Amino acid sequence: MNAALSTSTSLYRFVLYFAGAESKLGRELESSYRLCAVVGYNKVINKLLFNHLAVVREYTIPSYHPRIYHSMRCEAQTMPSRKTVISASSGLWMKSLKHLVVFSSLCCLISGYSERERVHDLMSRYPLIDGHNDLALQLRILHNNQLSQIDLYNVSKVATDITRLQAGHVQAQMFAVYVLCGAQEKDAVRLTLEQIDVVRRMCTEYQDFELVTSAQELRNSEMKHKIACLISIEGGHSIDSSLPALRMFYQLGVRSMTLTHTCNTPWAESSSKIYNIYQRQNNSLTHFGKAVVEEMNRLGMIVDLSHTSWDTAWAALKHSKAPVIFSHSSSFSICSHGRNVPDWLLHDLKKKQGLIMVNLHSKFISCSDEANISRVADHFDHIKNVIGAESIGIGGDFEGAVSFPQGLEDVSKYPALIQELLQRNWTENELADVLRRNFLRVFEEVERVRDRLSLNRPSEVQISVKEVQNPCRLVLRPPDPRRPSDMSPSSRAQNGPKGLLILVIPLMLSSLLMIE
Amino acid sequence: MLSKVISAAYLALWISSCAVTSAVDQYMIRALQLMSETPLIDGHNDLPWQLRKQFNNELNKVDLYTLKTTHTNIPKIKEGRLGAQFWSAYVPCETQYKDAVRQTLEQIDVIHRMCEKYPETFMFATSSQDIIEAFNMNKTASLIGVEGGHSLDSSLGTLRTMYKLGVRYLTLTHSCNTPWADNWLVDTGSEPSQHNGLSPFGKQLIVEMNRLGMLIDLAHVTVAVMNQVLNMSKAPVIFSHSSAYSVCPNKRNVPDDVLMRVNNTGGIVMVNFYNDYVTCSSTATVSDVADHFDHIKKVAGAGIVGFGGDYDGVTRLPAGLEDVSKVPKVVAELLRRGWTDKEVKAALGDNLLRVLREAEKVTHTHTFFLLLFFGAFSQKTVTVDRQERGREMGDDPQQRTQPTWGASRTMIISMIIFNWLWNQKIYNFLKSLFLLCLLSLVYKITVSQ
Repeated sequence: MNAALSTSTSLYRFVLYFAGAESKLGRELESSYRLCAVVGYNKVINKLLFNHLAVVREYTIPSYHPRIYHSMRCEAQTMPSRKTVISASSGLWMKSLKHLVVFSSLCCLISGYSERERVHDLMSRYPLIDGHNDLALQLRILHNNQLSQIDLYNVSKVATDITRLQAGHVQAQMFAVYVLCGAQEKDAVRLTLEQIDVVRRMCTEYQDFELVTSAQELRNSEMKHKIACLISIEGGHSIDSSLPALRMFYQLGVRSMTLTHTCNTPWAESSSKIYNIYQRQNNSLTHFGKAVVEEMNRLGMIVDLSHTSWDTAWAALKHSKAPVIFSHSSSFSICSHGRNVPDWLLHDLKKKQGLIMVNLHSKFISCSDEANISRVADHFDHIKNVIGAESIGIGGDFEGAVSFPQGLEDVSKYPALIQELLQRNWTENELADVLRRNFLRVFEEVERVRDRLSLNRPSEVQISVKEVQNPCRLVLRPPDPRRPSDMSPSSRAQNGPKGLLILVIPLMLSSLLMIE
Repeated sequence: MLSKVISAAYLALWISSCAVTSAVDQYMIRALQLMSETPLIDGHNDLPWQLRKQFNNELNKVDLYTLKTTHTNIPKIKEGRLGAQFWSAYVPCETQYKDAVRQTLEQIDVIHRMCEKYPETFMFATSSQDIIEAFNMNKTASLIGVEGGHSLDSSLGTLRTMYKLGVRYLTLTHSCNTPWADNWLVDTGSEPSQHNGLSPFGKQLIVEMNRLGMLIDLAHVTVAVMNQVLNMSKAPVIFSHSSAYSVCPNKRNVPDDVLMRVNNTGGIVMVNFYNDYVTCSSTATVSDVADHFDHIKKVAGAGIVGFGGDYDGVTRLPAGLEDVSKVPKVVAELLRRGWTDKEVKAALGDNLLRVLREAEKVTHTHTFFLLLFFGAFSQKTVTVDRQERGREMGDDPQQRTQPTWGASRTMIISMIIFNWLWNQKIYNFLKSLFLLCLLSLVYKITVSQ
């Protein structure tokens, strides 16, 4: 037995020395050991075995008893000691002055500590669900989707990685599988499939991530202390005007779609006018666009209206049977950028019990390249005044933009924002709504609408050829799309009597002649 | 008098005809009996392509119970005792470098919708287990095969996501070269060879397909690709709709040496019923089709033969096999030629089930090592845990970290190192070397306890 213990300790030290305590290997060892102390060796071994299987076949890791994790949480929250000893000094004035200085600084420190404590305590009980993150895009640009070359615990040149997500108390993140607008009419579908594949691989290969596709799974992943990954498509150009492609994306785990990015699609308009394609008057959400929204309602995919023009957003709001969201847009009244949402649209959103998740990009916060947390909080305050805190969320847009406010540079800085809101007298209830409960409510309502529409057949609406002509799109259709099925039987029916008549008439004529 | 003679003649004729038909009926009865015990698994049917061509994938405008313009509809499937079918998600070669991916997704979607619309007939399946389950429920298991590497647009991400959508085989090419594989027209001389078989990316694709558990279909590829894949693939391969080259020398068929290699690797060749590939002419009979089965059995054994009719993908079919309801005639013909029950069952479905299971196993081989190896030792830790758990939680923490935990700790460390090393893509021989060392180390420890 002693031999076993000494072997294990020497192996442990060997690994830590060569791999380094900060490397993935060392960290995995540490976390496994910490876990052993709580759940036992057998469970850890099983977990390791299952993880190996998960890499290959994407099994779900069995869940642990929540009681164990509550005890682990208490361990993680070690409180810093507050009491310091005030030393005695010479003169009374000096003494009292010193007392005053020390006392006031202590007060500030304590209130600072207690504020920060309060924020961390609140965010531990209601960890954040963030509406938009473009990490998948950065993985493509910087590393060509080669996950084996990087360590997602510490990624350089980006604002998101697992360590910082955990520090920022982010429990669920919607990862956008965005592909450039330039791929529209080219290979947008294939590129989107590759981005979905990289998010799926990322979320199954790392134990701290868990891919979720329903509200219940989101809740469960919180109990298991994992970061839930949701997949969202950013831009209708990814579906190439095809409802079957939309359905297949849903089957791959996509749960939300932004109707446009910065380019118009043949069926919806964008707020940005960079690209001069698919421009039309008074038809911002076409008949096919409405069919897309209906099919998203039927499937249970959240309709996202960020990046769309106000007309398209209004039309989609009217048409959708389920609540919609703006996954990363801010308030137009505070910063008049076309990407932001005006107050009248906010009122319509409220009527449909939707959600606006505030974008943190400086250009949308202060309409300039610089911003600060106070300005961000102004957006929150304004939207709360207009439609109330039950329609607000946070959609950071990290990795999807370059400049962020001072103090909110990466995903670990969310607590600073919550602290500012606390100082502006937001109640803990309102903040709990903003952090997570509003999104869960919207997601669950979208699922309820899906259940109500479960008897509907999948939609077979197809976009008309003249709306979507481009050289990369082959039309493999029967010649006349207006009468597809009643062509052949009716034509055969007509040919029958015709042939017979042609046969009969000469016979009759010849018989007539013969009789004569 | 005359009437008596005539009636006697008619009686004699009738009796003799009864005798003849009852002889044939006997084989048919046996065939139907065998088909009720083992599912007929057909490797290729292009009904989804017909749905697209004729109806724009608008299933609301079609009733599969009364559809008359295709070889396949539900009553014919029932009559033909079809136990499982690989539906082909095919898009034409013209879509390569254009919108092949989106069109393939639409074909995969129509197969899913067809299964959802007729749940009493079809059950969507993705594994050998699912096929058996569907057969027990008297439904036709529906699997998906993508016909043509051009549907992937040269992307491993697309391959993986299509696997997630239920695709279980990929025909490497249709009748056009992909950027990484040559198609059968190169063998006929009508197209130039671009890669002499598979390009390096094509070889990576084969490795990934093995890892995922997706079957590699070699119908429509050149002989060079067939040989290269048979060299490389760790899992058995399939030919979803190809017949025997020796019987009909069409380049779509499989030469004898490849047949023998398929037997060595445990694969399957599913015989195509298209006249041009059965008799190399525009007419054929049931007997000609059975000749292919016999030849494959003679050259490589009944363990590699199967049915891959290519219904709704071709225009000329043998007399007597015009649609999917007539397939039992082939089975009866095989029985008439002296095939044993076991051989016929192998051809019907057992061979394909074996191939599917092998492919599913290949994804698990390296984890099997782990399980086998560590599973034996986890028993020890289980008993140790139970002893520990028996105590109260408020025990002296020193007592909990007893020397009995040593073996488990070693195991955990070694598993973590193993896992990490595995993901670092070290060469195969190093992997096996490490495994061996680990095995001996842990064995030594446990023996010394």
